[in-house]
Amino acid sequence: MIETANELGHVAMQEGEVFIEADTAAALSVGIAALAAGYAERGIGAAAVGAMAEDEDLFVNGLILTVLPETIVILALVVVFIV
Amino acid sequence: MSLVGSSNPEYVVARVRARRGMLYSTEEYRKLTRMSPSEIARFMEESTYEAEINALGSRHGGVDLIEYALNANLAKQFEEVLDWSEGELYDLIVRYLRKFDAGNVKTVIRGIYTDAGREAIETDLIRAGEFDDRLIRRLLEAESIEAVVEILEGTIYGEPLAAAYEEYEETDVLVPLENAVDRAFYEQLLGNLPRGEPVRQYETFLKAEIDFRNADNALRLARSGAEIDPAEYFIDGGELFDRDTLARLARDLDELVEYIADSDYADELGPALRELEEADSLIAFEHATDTALLTYGDKLGTMHPVSVTPVISYILAKEREVENIRAIARGKEAGLSATEIEEELVIT
Repeated sequence: MIETANELGHVAMQEGEVFIEADTAAALSVGIAALAAGYAERGIGAAAVGAMAEDEDLFVNGLILTVLPETIVILALVVVFIV
Repeated sequence: MSLVGSSNPEYVVARVRARRGMLYSTEEYRKLTRMSPSEIARFMEESTYEAEINALGSRHGGVDLIEYALNANLAKQFEEVLDWSEGELYDLIVRYLRKFDAGNVKTVIRGIYTDAGREAIETDLIRAGEFDDRLIRRLLEAESIEAVVEILEGTIYGEPLAAAYEEYEETDVLVPLENAVDRAFYEQLLGNLPRGEPVRQYETFLKAEIDFRNADNALRLARSGAEIDPAEYFIDGGELFDRDTLARLARDLDELVEYIADSDYADELGPALRELEEADSLIAFEHATDTALLTYGDKLGTMHPVSVTPVISYILAKEREVENIRAIARGKEAGLSATEIEEELVIT
C-alpha cells in the first residue's frame, strides 16, 4: 500500500504537476482552523455568558475558557512559517 | 437558528447549573429543621428567596409567608428558564412545566365552584407555566366555570374541557373537568417528541413519572376499597400499566403490590413496598417514588451535559427544595420534632 503510494508520488513529481500550491495549502489550513475555533467558541461563549449572568465573578474564567480554542489557530499559523 | 444549530442549550444549561449550585444542601436542611418559622423566613431572606420574602413580608407572616415566597420564587425561576430557552429546548421544557398551568386551571375552577374570592384564588396560583399574565388575569376575572372553559378555548385544554363541561352540568361534580385537564396535560407530555438520545432519557423519565402516578392512584384506590372505576383515573402513556391491568389490579392490593415488585422498578421501590405490606402506610411508598424520580433526575443531569436533561434535573431539584422547605415550615408549625421532620424530607 505504502509502496504504491510512494510510487504514485514519484510519478506525480516527475510529471511536475502540483495539485495545490504550498502557500494556498497553508492559507487553507489557517482558514479552516479559524472556522473550527469559531465553532468551538460559539458554544463556550454562550455558556460563559450564561454563567456570568448568574455570577459576575466568573468573567475572567469565562473569558479565558472562551478564547482557549484560539490555540488551534495559532498552531495552524505555525504551518505558514514552515512552508 | 444558524446552519450549525443554535448555541442556546449551552447558555441555558450554564445558567441552570449555577442556579442548581445555589440550592440548599443537606447541611442547610439540618439547620432549617432546628429553626422556628420566623427564623426560617429570615434564613431564606439571606439566600435566593430575598426578593420574594421582602415583597410578601408586609402582607403575610409566619408559615404563610414562607409558603407564598416559595411559590413565587419557584414560579419566577421557572419562568426565567422558559424565557432563556428557545426552539426545541423550549418545547421540551414547557411540556413538563405545563403541569403548573394544569394546576392553575384546576385551582381557578375549584375556586369558582366553592365561591372563593378572587384574592384567595390568586394567592394560590403558581405562575410557572406557559400561560401569560393576561390569560391568567382573564381566568381570575371569570365569573362562572363556563366562562373559564370559554377563555381556555384555543389552548390545549379547550376541547377536552368543553367536552367535559356537559358532563359537569349534568352531575355538578368537578371530577370530569379535573380529569379532562389532567388528560390534556399528559397527552401533550409524550406526544411528538423529537428524536435524539437525550430526548429518549427525558422520555424515560416522563414515563416513570406517569407509572408512579398510576401506581400511587391504584394503591390508594385498592386500600380505600372505594367503588370508583379505576380506569377513570388511569393516565395513558406509561410502561407499567395499561388500562385493563390497572382496572384489574386496583381491586386487589396484594396482587398490585406483587405486580409492582416484579416490574422494572423493583430495585427502587422494593423496600418501600415491603414497608407498605408491613406497616400499611402509603407515605413510605410515595416517598420512595419521589426519591426514585429525583435520583433519576440527578443522573439525567450528568449523562448528556448539553441538552434538555440538566434543565429538567434542575427543575426537579428546585421543586423538591420548595417541597422540603414547606414540609419543614409546616412541620414546625404543627410542633413536630427535628427528627420527625427530617424523616419527611426527600434528600438525595
